[in-house]
Amino acid sequence: MKKLNRRNFMKLAAGGGSALAAGLGFSQGALAGSIKLQEGGRDFSPTTKKELQAIPTACWQCVTRDAMMGYVEDGRLVKLEGHPDSIRTLGKLCAKGQAGVNHVYFPDRILYPMLRVGKRGEHKWKRVSWDEALDLMASKLKPLLDAGTPELFMYQYGRHKGSQSSIMHDFMDAFGSHTIGTHTSVCEGPKWVGQESLWGGMYDNWDYDHTDFVVNFGSNQFETHTNHIPTSQRLISAMVDRNVPLYTFDVRLSNTAAKSTEWIPINVGMDGLVMLSMVNVIMNEKLFRKDHLKYMRVSPDYHASDDEKIAAIKEHVAKFTPEFAEKESGVPADKIKQIARGYAKAKSACLIGYRGTVMHFHGADQERAAMLLSAITNNLDRKGGRVMGVGAGWKAPHSPKAKLQKGLDIVNGFPGEAAFPTHQVSQQNLPMIKDGQNGRPKVYWSSCNNQAFINGNNKEAEAVLKDESLIPFYVNSNIVYDETSQYADLILPDVTYLERWDTEDMVSPTGVAEFYIRQPLIKPLGESRDQGEIFAGLAKRLGIELAYTTKEEYVRQSCEMTPGVREAGGFEYMKKHGVWHDKNAKPNFGFYEAKVDVSGDGVILDEKTGVYWNYKKAGVSEAEASSKGYLGVEGAKDAYVAQNIEGTPRKAYPPNTSFLKSGLLDFYSDNFAAKGFPPFPTYTPIPEHQKMGKDDLHLTTYKVAVHTHSRTAHCKWLSEIKHDNPAWINSKTAADRGIKEGDRIKVASDLGEITTTAHVTEGIIPGIIAISHHFGRQHSGIYGSGKSSPTPGGATADPDAKNMWWDKHGTHPNSIIPNSSDPISGGQRWMDTVVRVAKA
Amino acid sequence: MGINWKELADNAKSRSDIYGLMSTVFREEPSGGLIKEMRSSRLSEIFTDLGVELGERFYTNPESKVVEELAIEYTRLFIGPGPHISAHESIFCEMDGDTGGLWGVKTVEVKKFIETTGLDYGKEFTGLPDHISVELEFMQKLAEWETDMWLQQDRKRAEHCLTVQRKFLEQHLFCWVNQFCDAVMNEAEIPFYRAMAELSKQYMEFERQSIAIDTAA
Repeated sequence: MKKLNRRNFMKLAAGGGSALAAGLGFSQGALAGSIKLQEGGRDFSPTTKKELQAIPTACWQCVTRDAMMGYVEDGRLVKLEGHPDSIRTLGKLCAKGQAGVNHVYFPDRILYPMLRVGKRGEHKWKRVSWDEALDLMASKLKPLLDAGTPELFMYQYGRHKGSQSSIMHDFMDAFGSHTIGTHTSVCEGPKWVGQESLWGGMYDNWDYDHTDFVVNFGSNQFETHTNHIPTSQRLISAMVDRNVPLYTFDVRLSNTAAKSTEWIPINVGMDGLVMLSMVNVIMNEKLFRKDHLKYMRVSPDYHASDDEKIAAIKEHVAKFTPEFAEKESGVPADKIKQIARGYAKAKSACLIGYRGTVMHFHGADQERAAMLLSAITNNLDRKGGRVMGVGAGWKAPHSPKAKLQKGLDIVNGFPGEAAFPTHQVSQQNLPMIKDGQNGRPKVYWSSCNNQAFINGNNKEAEAVLKDESLIPFYVNSNIVYDETSQYADLILPDVTYLERWDTEDMVSPTGVAEFYIRQPLIKPLGESRDQGEIFAGLAKRLGIELAYTTKEEYVRQSCEMTPGVREAGGFEYMKKHGVWHDKNAKPNFGFYEAKVDVSGDGVILDEKTGVYWNYKKAGVSEAEASSKGYLGVEGAKDAYVAQNIEGTPRKAYPPNTSFLKSGLLDFYSDNFAAKGFPPFPTYTPIPEHQKMGKDDLHLTTYKVAVHTHSRTAHCKWLSEIKHDNPAWINSKTAADRGIKEGDRIKVASDLGEITTTAHVTEGIIPGIIAISHHFGRQHSGIYGSGKSSPTPGGATADPDAKNMWWDKHGTHPNSIIPNSSDPISGGQRWMDTVVRVAKA
Repeated sequence: MGINWKELADNAKSRSDIYGLMSTVFREEPSGGLIKEMRSSRLSEIFTDLGVELGERFYTNPESKVVEELAIEYTRLFIGPGPHISAHESIFCEMDGDTGGLWGVKTVEVKKFIETTGLDYGKEFTGLPDHISVELEFMQKLAEWETDMWLQQDRKRAEHCLTVQRKFLEQHLFCWVNQFCDAVMNEAEIPFYRAMAELSKQYMEFERQSIAIDTAA
């Protein structure tokens, strides 16, 4: 090009001016108003130059969802920290929470709706307007309504909680589709199924504020717990202030294990067995407490005496001696006895269990063993023990439901795969779409769920998403380009959680519910838009009536509808304060003991089970109720009133989940027996582990403190701290294979092979290999993947990118882990894969 | 010799028009109207004369095809998804105490600077305050106002406006426009944006020399 000079400058200007004069180019400028240089425009303080606002809101990095404060300076979000008035967090916020700022401002963020213009996965896109995007979606959805097939619209979500979840369900109900996929089965489903089969409502919590003894099986409590900040700081305080001991059973020396009173290495999949051997010790040494026995059912007999129950429990666990457990688990029998005695003798004690315990074959049964250990020591829902979680019960507006409500049977696993998939079998959603036997959605919309990264066999997931014959129209809501959105037909720019409204409800460790909200700290960047607003936009196009027009309005209505919050000042109070709890409320320990009035009309006692239930509420005649009994009438559990406990009607443990049960803790479960599973908690060897060759190893996965599974890789502060995931391998196991620290190694399963780096350590038991599952990203921005772009681009324009001192981005293990479900719960068996490891 | 008000006004108007053209090009995907105008004999001759090569297909392909191709190219270069050339000053310019990223300290400075002149961001504008097209549009508007002042023979205001422009150029546009244009020239796959980036870079260099930056201002 020639150099510009005065002559061609004027010519260019004349040409440009004529084009502009013709009104071409953009329809509207960015700037409005007129220049008033002499008169002075808006002014800013010459001294401070800044305006600082503190706005209460809520985190959303992980499911803990801490209440927090955002600090905004000149319209920029500059800092996040804990909310000082939160009874859950006590003003603390973890590293992930503080790095939330990175979500908003990372340069690779998706800010505009984009339409695919190349083949799926070709990374070829065109920006479209919101009207175009919503019109397109409506054009795909309307025919489904017209044809009476609303179920062919599938919504797949990951982290949706509080109002983010309720507003989505409201929209789907208004549309009429029950084809809604979740993610819980890849996270913690077996834990909840185990608990639901016993005490009905699920989600346990631990009263660390009052406990005297803590035993932890397979939970990385101090790094990644599901209720991390609220519980971890309380456990640390208990240890430091009251010398409470913490014993951690884990295959790996996690930071939790390292901070424990003692780390007890344990073989993979043996948590339940060790728990049962602890029960064995406690029962045989008469260290149990009888208090809870009357609420327990441990044999087919609903009316067994305490002595009969004690005998039955002893018989059930007789074979699980500490010596037998030592042989299988590697935990010395004396250590099991020592911890069992300490646990039973403590005034109160907590038993923690999590992914390490339950993401196995029969993982749900391992959770039942944990509940048994808590119950026989009267540490279930007692002060200082394992207690029922208490969260905020928000009310929410409801839109009219569609008359036609249908769903595809593709969210609960393949036929016969899981007996009680109460939290779905989401790892099989895409394989079932591929299979097609139970139908396929025509419109598939996923939000906050990176299916092609978070499930097992993720290469298969990618292939399904890529295949237009399997998924004709795929919409992905996202803030970052990732393994899943790359195959979308339409990408919708989601707001970050720092730009949106929500009511929130996560469990409180104090036993007193905390109501809190999330509110935008800044205006959504670019054209990013909240799902709630998108639902409203679609509803308008589809002729669907919704009870709200914006997410803010939805939250406002919730605040004005919810008792307690309403009286405190409703929406305006919550905007100002962010959190609210009833200062007169007390923890609801021992709720099951509450006496219940059973004199109501239609309430009868079912002699067989000891359940008081209301046959009228169940919609049957007294005669039918008497002849069929509580267990024989469909819907009777929804008419549960009380349980006869030694002659007194008490609340006990109402059957408020899908399990048909009495008000007793069903340690003997007819539900399990009917499906061919052990009715009493037991030890069931993992099939794959019984067939291992001498050179085979177990593969386990784990989480690190500074990342969520798939949503934080683009957060540069976090990726700077943790960006690589060398495979942990014991020094003896490594030496047997000639592997040294830092060597490249191949890890192969029956599904495939990955190459990674060895981290040789004594901090893991021999015979296994452990790989965290956050890394090895294909995309997720330059900080997440290290790649400049899926297409040539200028990611390195971010001034901070040149400060990336690391060039490793890890290896994702999920491609060699099959989608394999716990046959009881449908939970993904992350910890059961057998692999061969060799030097690369 | 007296002041040639007309010449000063014409000069300011020319600068305003070029800023306007550049702002248009980088604001969003080109419309059919803009393509038509740029393919017109008037502008195409100027481009040819300057050696601005928009590529043969820009002139020969059907207008709708050019619009579609440039929309895809614009999205790939400036929108994403995934890493792309984020056309914002805060991405290119580092400041002490800033950690990089969108809506940085620089963004606030640009926003304040613009708002201090009495302008505001339109309600329909969904971009970020320091987008390249906004900064260019701001210069367009300043030069346009300067034009009016020369036409009104208000030397004081016109020169004050020039001072403001110099400040904005020095404190903002000049800090990153070269880098931005280089990035576009490197990454563009279609000649259009490569050529527009080169032209913009050249013009900013011309501007740097012709407007005679007064660093003491």
